[in-house]
Amino acid sequence: MTGSRAATAFPPPGPGRVVRGVLLVVLVATSLGPLVLLAIWSISGRWLYPSLLPTEYSAASWRALGTESLGPALVTSGALAVVAGLVGCMLALPLGRALARLRGWRRHVGAVAAFLPVAAPPLALGTGLQVVLLSVGLGGTATGVLLAHLVPAVGYLSLFFLGTFTLFDARVEAEARTLGATPWQMWRHVLLPMLRGPIAEAVALGFLISWGQFALTLVVGGGAVRALPLEVFSLVRAGQDRAAAVGALLLVVPPVVGLAALRWAARRTTVAPA
Amino acid sequence: MSIFMRLRRGSDADLMGLGAGLVLATPVLVGIGYAAAASLGVAGPGASEAGVERIERVLTESATWRGLGLTLWVAALATALATAGAVLVAVLFRGVGWLDRVARGLAVLPLPVPHLVAGALGVWVLGQSGEISRVLAAVGAVRMPAEVPALVYDRWGLGLALTMAWKESAFLAVIATALLATRSLDVEEAARTLGAGPVHTFVRITWPILWRGLLPAVIAVFVFVAGSYEAAMLLAPSDPLLLPLLVADRASDPDLGRRGDAYVVSLLLLGIAVLAVVAHEWTRARWEPLDP
Amino acid sequence: MVLMAAVTACGGRESRETGANGDRGQATVEALARLPWDSVLGRARGTEVVWRMWRGDPSINAYVDGWVAPRLRDRYGITLRAVEGQGPEIVNQLVVEREAGRHTGTASLLWINGETFSNLRREQLLAGPWAGRLPNAAYVDSASPIVSRDFEQDPAGFESPWGRVQFALIYDSARTPVPPRSLTELAAWIRAHPGRFTHDQGFTGITFLKVVLYARAGGVTRLQGGFDSTRYAAARRDVFAWLDSLRPFFWRDGATYPPDVAAMHRLFANREIDFSMSNNQNEVVTKVRQGILPPTSRALLLTDGTIANTHYLGISANAPNSAGAMVVADFLLSPEAQLEKRKPDAWADGMVLDATRLPDEWRARFAAMETDPRQVPRDSLAKYARPEISPRYHARLAADWRAHVRAR
Repeated sequence: MTGSRAATAFPPPGPGRVVRGVLLVVLVATSLGPLVLLAIWSISGRWLYPSLLPTEYSAASWRALGTESLGPALVTSGALAVVAGLVGCMLALPLGRALARLRGWRRHVGAVAAFLPVAAPPLALGTGLQVVLLSVGLGGTATGVLLAHLVPAVGYLSLFFLGTFTLFDARVEAEARTLGATPWQMWRHVLLPMLRGPIAEAVALGFLISWGQFALTLVVGGGAVRALPLEVFSLVRAGQDRAAAVGALLLVVPPVVGLAALRWAARRTTVAPA
Repeated sequence: MSIFMRLRRGSDADLMGLGAGLVLATPVLVGIGYAAAASLGVAGPGASEAGVERIERVLTESATWRGLGLTLWVAALATALATAGAVLVAVLFRGVGWLDRVARGLAVLPLPVPHLVAGALGVWVLGQSGEISRVLAAVGAVRMPAEVPALVYDRWGLGLALTMAWKESAFLAVIATALLATRSLDVEEAARTLGAGPVHTFVRITWPILWRGLLPAVIAVFVFVAGSYEAAMLLAPSDPLLLPLLVADRASDPDLGRRGDAYVVSLLLLGIAVLAVVAHEWTRARWEPLDP
Repeated sequence: MVLMAAVTACGGRESRETGANGDRGQATVEALARLPWDSVLGRARGTEVVWRMWRGDPSINAYVDGWVAPRLRDRYGITLRAVEGQGPEIVNQLVVEREAGRHTGTASLLWINGETFSNLRREQLLAGPWAGRLPNAAYVDSASPIVSRDFEQDPAGFESPWGRVQFALIYDSARTPVPPRSLTELAAWIRAHPGRFTHDQGFTGITFLKVVLYARAGGVTRLQGGFDSTRYAAARRDVFAWLDSLRPFFWRDGATYPPDVAAMHRLFANREIDFSMSNNQNEVVTKVRQGILPPTSRALLLTDGTIANTHYLGISANAPNSAGAMVVADFLLSPEAQLEKRKPDAWADGMVLDATRLPDEWRARFAAMETDPRQVPRDSLAKYARPEISPRYHARLAADWRAHVRAR
């Protein structure tokens, strides 16, 4: 009993406290600092060197949310990400399960295949997808961009479900089947309830992957599908820092809040520390 | 026995599994195929006659190799810094107290920050006229922007590496904390009951489990940083050009005929990605205790 | 999969070789050329026009989205949708669309000039001719060499002029009360203030190098008349000699350069450098208003002459709505739209119309238009304006500069 948490006896208490304290301060500065900075930039009117804080303030960019490009881009990104999360999860679940059944060298090939779309540089991946989608008439459309987002999303989620089903006890399935359950009944009454947690996490991950996509949206959408990352990038490239900061906050805050909610919910249902 | 015969003999599970793999890998193979076709001059803007001269030319240009060098260096540095930060947080804040939970939460906060926001923040914070520089000026440590070390548009991509390390350390921190909370816990307990001291436990048990478990994710971070375009666009130097920037540079070359060069460099990046993915899988398979 | 990609690509190449025959935009433009203007208006009513343009400046976006689009909707029943796309991206996009067999593309109207126009023409990606038949084309200042030639190329009706700008340096009158007025003075200033000057890697930076090229070649007349590699080589030697003598005094010792003009503005505004530059001499006005540049910024024309050029509108060969695009281009060319565009508190983009050809009331309104004190006086503009030369000079200079500055 004493052994469990006493494992944290490294590093030793005395100097360990100082190091922990310093590191905590550093963490607060580096994690919260940038968000605070974004918030200040978003309401800055004129902020030039060497001023520590803006010399003029202006809420113009926030007021312009409805009329200028950031509002619609937020909606576009949100819609794409929600669909990508849901569809991605639906596709990845059977794919991950199929991968988990493999053994030996085939298993490794499967895992490599699943990780490839995640690791491939989006710019290079996008140009290949662009031609294919254009030739079926989906170039420059939201559907085309959604399909492009699904490529890394389904890849990553398949790996995720591969992990989940590896830990999954296949005997439960076998037992249910010997008790006479049809495949449909087994899914509905046995598997899905057990997978509720991983499914929720997968949808959230799929959402995040689509939400943050830049190069894929740019190349496949041909500039016509204005997702939020594209707008923010254009604004930063054009030197419009205030508007870019507003867009950046819109990009960052919802996922942060969502992730925090997820972790808090997960803590309430599991025993081990998150 | 040929691979097809073996497949036919294998169970349905094998077929379905490999089919799943094919579905997942197809888009990337299409991307590689198109880039290869464009490099050979058969497709894309700047396509002329088919041939390998373009590939030869690009692969012998020093811009390509210097770009590759800088890309690998920045990716390695960012990965190393991110790993160090993540390990530090995971090891020092393992407890259940509120302090540890807050620290872990803070470390994970940058997780959903996209590369481009990280890049913008890098310019605003690390630039020679950025926030850090202004604080230094306010306390009188420097008098003008030029006295602050150049971290943006600098020859060694330090600002870019720092920015990417900040963002990716969150990802590694999640994995590291999970590892320490689950996988190593039991073994450590066993070691403690056998009488091992804390330092000994850490060095011989915790740390090996930690780095082996982290290695696949570390490789993943390496390839994410190497392939990132947005942050590089905002922070990287103009010479040598990082590979993703080199792709964009060639793709917008005024000379149409040279635009195909972008695809050769793309192939190079895709090659790095493939190598990294294979390495990732190899390390994962080697040390994943739960793999059947 | 590799085979599929290759087959798609081969199919694309074939359609390029047979010409633009399948392209919808070109076919419509040819048909429309035989119809009266009212028919064009009728065809355009109730349709959507997708316009591929650079969307990086809120002032331009405000003009297009906030002033042009509502009037198009009310008067002509056209819905205008602007999407992001700059020169090289436009060309690549159209090439890939053609490769994928799309005879009807996404965008109808394109904002282009210079080498983009040259590349599009060479690849037969533009529909035309159509520009001459616009009713408002009668007001265009066709006598001006700046408007009637796009980087020495004859638009030949394949693009319609939209606005004109002139290259200028930007300085801060608070930091540099007596700025250098010529290249020689600038060189002396750079030597006296090491690390305070640079130029960017993008279009604006290369335009600056072209200004130097004109001066070192002995005037733009020496370089006109198409691309001449001997003359270019000699002039380039001089330009690089001038640059090399100054490079140790550039920002960051001339080892690295900011990626684009917005980064330059940021460096300039934050006191890392003392000069910025812009292709639009009035960018000072809009950027000060947006809070990006300090209020004491001013524009500066070099007495050696600075480059003035016109930007145009084109219609893609695979345009889905050529009639609509033509109506939009005509409206943008109208005295009313040109006047609004030129206002300092809008975009401050120069007009391409000949004031003497305008009806009296418009002539009066142009003359009475307020000028912002930061703007360069109109007679200075004219005095120092130099036309663009063949786009190949720009392309070669850009490539050679990169090779020269980066170890290749």
